[in-house]
Amino acid sequence: MNALAVLGDEALHLTPSLWAVVWLIVWGPLLLGLVALYFPPHRMLTAAAAYLPVMAATGWLVATIAVSGPRHASLSLGELTLTWYLDGLAILLLLLTQTVLMASAVFAVGYCRTAELPSRPAAWLWPLLGGLSSGLTLIWIAADLLSLYVGLELMGLCAVALMLLPGEAEALAAGMRYLLYALVGSLAWLLGVSLLLGAWGRLDLAGLAAVAEPGAVTTLAVALLSAGLLLKASIFPLHAWLAPVHGAAWIPVSAVHAALVIKASFVILLKLWLLLAPGQMAAAWLLGGLGSLAVLWGGILAWRAQGLKELVAFSTVGQLGYLMLAFPLLIGTSEAVAALAWRGTWLHLAGHALAKAAMFMAVGSLVLSTGRSKLVELAGTSRRLPLPLLVFGLAAVTLMGLPPSAGFTAKWLLLQAAIRGEQWLWIGVLVLGTMLTAAYLFRMFRHSFDEQAPHLTYRRLPLGMDMMALLLALAALALGLVADWPLELLWPWGGRT
Amino acid sequence: MAILPEALAAALEVMLALLLLLMALACLVDRYLRRACRSFVCFAVLMALTWWQLRAPWLAAVEAVLGALLTGFSLFFALGFGAHHRLPRRDTLPGASPSGVRSWLLPLTWWFMAAAASLLLVDDVGTRLSEALAVLGPLALVGLAIIGLGLWGFVRHRHLLRRLLAFNVLGSGIFLVLAEVAGPRIEAQALILTGLIVALFGSLLGASLIRRLFILDGRLALGSGTGGKE
Repeated sequence: MNALAVLGDEALHLTPSLWAVVWLIVWGPLLLGLVALYFPPHRMLTAAAAYLPVMAATGWLVATIAVSGPRHASLSLGELTLTWYLDGLAILLLLLTQTVLMASAVFAVGYCRTAELPSRPAAWLWPLLGGLSSGLTLIWIAADLLSLYVGLELMGLCAVALMLLPGEAEALAAGMRYLLYALVGSLAWLLGVSLLLGAWGRLDLAGLAAVAEPGAVTTLAVALLSAGLLLKASIFPLHAWLAPVHGAAWIPVSAVHAALVIKASFVILLKLWLLLAPGQMAAAWLLGGLGSLAVLWGGILAWRAQGLKELVAFSTVGQLGYLMLAFPLLIGTSEAVAALAWRGTWLHLAGHALAKAAMFMAVGSLVLSTGRSKLVELAGTSRRLPLPLLVFGLAAVTLMGLPPSAGFTAKWLLLQAAIRGEQWLWIGVLVLGTMLTAAYLFRMFRHSFDEQAPHLTYRRLPLGMDMMALLLALAALALGLVADWPLELLWPWGGRT
Repeated sequence: MAILPEALAAALEVMLALLLLLMALACLVDRYLRRACRSFVCFAVLMALTWWQLRAPWLAAVEAVLGALLTGFSLFFALGFGAHHRLPRRDTLPGASPSGVRSWLLPLTWWFMAAAASLLLVDDVGTRLSEALAVLGPLALVGLAIIGLGLWGFVRHRHLLRRLLAFNVLGSGIFLVLAEVAGPRIEAQALILTGLIVALFGSLLGASLIRRLFILDGRLALGSGTGGKE
C-alpha cells in the first residue's frame, strides 16, 4: 500500500557492508565527540579531517540507496524488535544533517578560539553535538515509535544541554524553560504512544498503518502526540521559548538547532499524520491555519526585533509555518496536488536548514567581530565586513524565495499545489509571508549600509568561519538549481495509499 | 506474587494505589522543600513496589535505582544539601494566577484527552462509565489522578524545584497508565525504561540548573515577581 511495504521483503535487508556504514553514521559522530572532549580540536582543518570518514560514509550510503532503492533493517534486543528504514527521504535528510553538522563543527572550532570561550564548557560542545547527531540520524531512519522516542529524547536532551553551555544567568534561565517544555512535550508524546500501543498492540509504523483504524482513540492519541511535537518544534502558538534560547546560545549551537533540531519534530509529526490520520482534513486545515499564523506572526516579530540573533530566531518561527502548510496540502487532496506539496515541503525544509545555518553563522561573525548585537549598531559594517554580509544576503535570497534558490523552487511547488488543490487561502499566506520576509531581512541591509558611522575597531576572524557559512549559503542556492536529483529520489514516497 | 491469594493481591494493589496517590499529593502540596523531596523518594519507592506487583521486576530495579536513588540524589543536590549555598527551606513564592487561558486550558484539555482515551480503550460501545472504570483498575485510575495532580503542580507552582517534582510525578502517572492500558508487553516496558532514563537525565539537568541559577543571582522561578524575571 505504501513505501513501507518494503519492510516485509527479505531481499531488501541491509547488506552487512551497509549495516557497517549505518552504524558508522549513527555512532561515529558521538565517538568523535567523546575523543574531542579530551583532545579538543584547535584547528578547523583537524575537525574537518576527523569528520571526513562520516561524510564519506554518508556519501556512499546515499549513492548506494539512490541506485538500489529503499532498504530496511531490524534489530532484535531480546524479544524487542526495532525497525529501521532507509528510503530516499531518509538518506537525503541524513546528507543534509551531516553537511550542516560538519560545517557547524568546523565553524565552532574557529568560534571557540576567537570568542575565547572557557575551555571546559567548550570541550563539552563536542560530545553533545555528537549525541545530537546520533539522535537525529536515529530519527531519520527509525520506522517504529520506540526508536523514534529514543532518538527524540537523545536529541532533545543534548540540545538542552548545548543551550546551557554559555553558563550565564540568561542562558540558564532560557535553558531551564526549554528543558521544562521539552520534558513535558515528551511526556505528551509518550502518553500518545502508549495509547496507540494499548489500542493496536504494536509500535512499528508499517504495522500500525496496517491495523490502526480511524476512531476516537487513534484521534486522541494523535492529538496528544501532536501536542508534544508541536511544542518541541516551537510551532505557533507554542513558540515562546525559542527566541530567548537562541539569544543566549552559542552561534554554532543555534545554527544546528534552527536548521535541524526543530525540524526533527516536524518530520516525525508529518510521518505520523500521513500514516495514522490520512482522512483528518479538518485537523490538517487547523495545522495549516496555525502554520499561516506562524508565518505572519513570526514575520511581524522578526520585523520588530532589535537584536540580530532575535531577528534570525523569529524568522525561524515564520519559516516553520510554511512547513505546516504541508498538512492541508497532503491530507485529503488529489495525487497530483499531494505530489507537488510533498516535493515542495522537503525542498523548503532542506533549503531553510542550509540557509538558516548560514545566516546564523553570518550573524555570529558580525556579532563576534563588531562586539555588538543590535541591528542599529551595525552601521558601517558593509565596508569592513563584506563577507558575512554577502553570506547573509545569499541566505536571505533563499529565505525570501528568490530564484534560483531552493526557497524559490519550494515555494513555487507549494504555490502550484495550492492552486491545483484550489486552497486559495495558502496562496495569500505564501505571498504575504514572502513580503514580510523581504521586509525584515532588508532591515538588516538598511542598517549595515549606513555609511555615517563612528569608526569602530573590528576583531579579525579566521577566514574558514566565513567560508563555512558561504558554503552552506551557496549550497542552499545550488539546491534550487539541481533540485531535480533530490526530488527524483523523493518520488516513491511513503505514507499514502 | 502468584502465591498470594487473589483477594489479597487485589487488596494490596488498591492499597499501593492509594499510598501512591497520597505520596504524590504530599510531594506536590508541601511548601517545605526538603519534606517534599523526601515524599518524592517515598513515592518512587512505592512506584518500584508497584512494578514488582505488576510482575516487572526489571522495571522495579530500574525505578529503585534511577527513580528513587539517583533522582532523589539530584533533588537533594539541587537543595544544596551539605553545601554552602542552600536553597531557602520553604517555598514562599505565590502560585501562578489561574488567569491565563494558555496555562490552564491546555493542561485541562490534556488531562481530559488522556482520561477519555484510557476509558475508551477498555470501553466497548455500550458499556457504562461505571463498568469501564471498574475494568480500568485502581492503578490506572490512580495514574490518571496523578497525571492531573502533576499537571496542576506544573502549572500552579513557580518554584523551579517544585515544578521539577511535578514533572517527575506527572511522568510516573503516565507510566502507570501506560502499564495498565498496554499490559505486560515488552514494548510497554521498553517505553517505560526509556522514559525513566529520560526523566533521570532531565532531573539531573534541571537540578544542576536550579543550583546554578540560585548561586548566580538567587533566582528561584522563571516568571516575573520575587526572585525571578521574565
